[in-house]
Amino acid sequence: MIELITPASIIANLRASNKKQALQELARKASELTGQHERMIFDVLLERERLGTTGVGQGIAIPHGKLANLDRVYGLFARLERPIDFDAIDEQPVDLMFLLLAPEQAGADHLKALARVSRLLRDHAVCEKLRGSTSADALYALLTQTEASHAA
Amino acid sequence: MTAGLVGLLVASLLLFASILAGLLSARLGAPLLLTFLGLGMLAGEDGPGGIAYDNLDLSFLIGNCALAIILFDGGLRTPLATLQAAWAPALSLATLGVLITAGVTAAGAHWLFHLDPLHAFLMGAIVAATDAPAVFMALGHTGVTLRDRLRATLEVESGSNDPMGIFLTMACVALIQASGQAVGWGVAADFVRQMGLGLLLGWFGGMGLAWLTNRLELAAGLYPILTLAVCLLTFSGTALLGGSGYLAMYVAGIVYGSRRVRAKTMTCRFFDGLMWLSQITMFLLLGLLVSPHQLAGQAFLALGIAVILIFVARPVAVALALAPFGFSMPEQLFAAWVGLRGAVPIFLALLPAMAGIDESRTYFNVAFVVVLVSLVLQGWTAAWVARRLGVALAPNPEAADKLEFDMLHQIDRDLVAYTVKPHSRATDFAFAELAVPDRVRVVTVIRDGAVLSSPEIDRLRADDVVLVLTPPALSLVVDRFFSRRFKSTAAHLRREHGDFFVDGASSVESLVRAYDLPLEGAASGLTVNGLLKGRIGSTVGRGDRLRVGPVELIVIDMIGRDIKEVGVRLCFEDDQPTDWRRRLRSFLAHGPLGPFVGRLLDRGR
Repeated sequence: MIELITPASIIANLRASNKKQALQELARKASELTGQHERMIFDVLLERERLGTTGVGQGIAIPHGKLANLDRVYGLFARLERPIDFDAIDEQPVDLMFLLLAPEQAGADHLKALARVSRLLRDHAVCEKLRGSTSADALYALLTQTEASHAA
Repeated sequence: MTAGLVGLLVASLLLFASILAGLLSARLGAPLLLTFLGLGMLAGEDGPGGIAYDNLDLSFLIGNCALAIILFDGGLRTPLATLQAAWAPALSLATLGVLITAGVTAAGAHWLFHLDPLHAFLMGAIVAATDAPAVFMALGHTGVTLRDRLRATLEVESGSNDPMGIFLTMACVALIQASGQAVGWGVAADFVRQMGLGLLLGWFGGMGLAWLTNRLELAAGLYPILTLAVCLLTFSGTALLGGSGYLAMYVAGIVYGSRRVRAKTMTCRFFDGLMWLSQITMFLLLGLLVSPHQLAGQAFLALGIAVILIFVARPVAVALALAPFGFSMPEQLFAAWVGLRGAVPIFLALLPAMAGIDESRTYFNVAFVVVLVSLVLQGWTAAWVARRLGVALAPNPEAADKLEFDMLHQIDRDLVAYTVKPHSRATDFAFAELAVPDRVRVVTVIRDGAVLSSPEIDRLRADDVVLVLTPPALSLVVDRFFSRRFKSTAAHLRREHGDFFVDGASSVESLVRAYDLPLEGAASGLTVNGLLKGRIGSTVGRGDRLRVGPVELIVIDMIGRDIKEVGVRLCFEDDQPTDWRRRLRSFLAHGPLGPFVGRLLDRGR
């Protein structure tokens, strides 16, 4: 997880009123991190959503996609101020989002990163703690430490 | 005269008590069949009822009728699609599986309890067959959803293995009576004749019944009775001609069930009732026949056989019989665990006594204990085990609440009254946007007792009654408009069902691009639905999996024969092999032994 996110890639209080806005906000922030076009990121995310929702249930969404000119896999975590309708698989509103962007040729690295994020966010205890934290530092610590203890 | 009336009074009281007790046991979550058994014992010679019932001939006759009805009903409830999906593994379990179960149980009885080989094999054969209603109930009432193919296999197995168990038992009894003279090939020839005739006459019986039903103009109430008459005629006729009447019943049920005949709904309900009556009667009889005070001396032997059967014989038989069919290890373990025993061993245990074999009481007592242990241990834990083994899928969207009416059989339409459920497609979309399939007609809608015409309806509400005319082939699709939507149950999905989900209608190309699947060219232009159907086969069902490079595609939801929702599970070395270990650890920590194990682990530190 430490390779995926830095304290700068945490949004502790994202404000969005719907799915489109949330994805736009994430794309904007991701464009700052990666130096890629905001519009391109947003389009890639939308394309993935057309395949089927990335709202995997229990208030979690893991939007993801691949970009041609990325140098590595980037992660971006957002805790939403208010839960939004995300067209999730279980129709529950979403309040925790983890965006994952990978280079076109990332292959297994991309999927491994996705698997790790998916496993981490299926842990109810972790999600409850994430929901209870309001500062970016605390969220960053939770995300990175929990995974370390999982791996042990 | 008075004696007869008293007998009738007692019998009807028992039946009445069984129904009430059944209601109670459903509330307590106790296996239903166990309740009937207990009631029989209470009424029996060692219970407060004190009825000393010992009439073997009558029991045998009743047992035969009951089994014939149970098997016909089992066939009737087996849709052709289930049969298509599972006939091969089910047949393997029902023949080879039964033989191995009987053999291994016999070996155990021989080595541990020093029974001579033939008697030991008789013991094994009596307890070898699983019981269809017991398995149906264990699978049905617990709310556990299994992979379609696994469920179909278990259901077809439990219906079709009875004839095999019965054949083996009868052959053993005959061998013992012939005092073991070499009749090896005679048994094989007899097997071929019994099963061949059973299959053939059962097919004729079912076809003939369907033909007669559509030909004869009868009072409506007579059609189920006609079915019953032809049924018992087929059963006894086949048996008298030297065939297996039991197999004939199962086959006739399937054949009749697959035909479009008039008054079918009524006949099915009638047989549903008869099936219950048969079950109650069989278990009451067993409870009456058993003499608990005699059990004490044989408890050790009987428990030994039960343990061998449940923990050794059945798992070995399942592993060998299912080996060629690609079931996963947890699925095989679960199949081994739901080998529930029911009415058949009880019935078969009567045979040695009727044939005058020495110590015939022993067989009966052992069968009793085996059925008891199986119902308690396996029946009660089936759902829990399914979840622990990870073979439980997210629950099916609750079945549609519907009432079918018998239409003229020449018309290729079903008339169905649906009660609209909350969170259904019907309530979530405007009536005009519902997009029911072309050939489906909404006849009328009844709301709060008033009949509405279509233009008056803006949107359907929960508890509206909708009368629909639909081609039978589309009935599953129509069901989904009025039952709860899949999404309302999706909260139960776990990571084993997929890290992500994609729509069955989306294109394979975009899936390949998103997850780097090694499928270039081979699948261009296909939808995910088409890809899975092509690779897995047309019998694809929920829970089926297809491994494509680094991911596994899992069929999560289907509407009719089309795949609606697909789980994408990312498979990597770092989580796959530890999966069972993690599960074992969590089983130890959170299972019934949890507190104990926890203390042990703490001490180890």
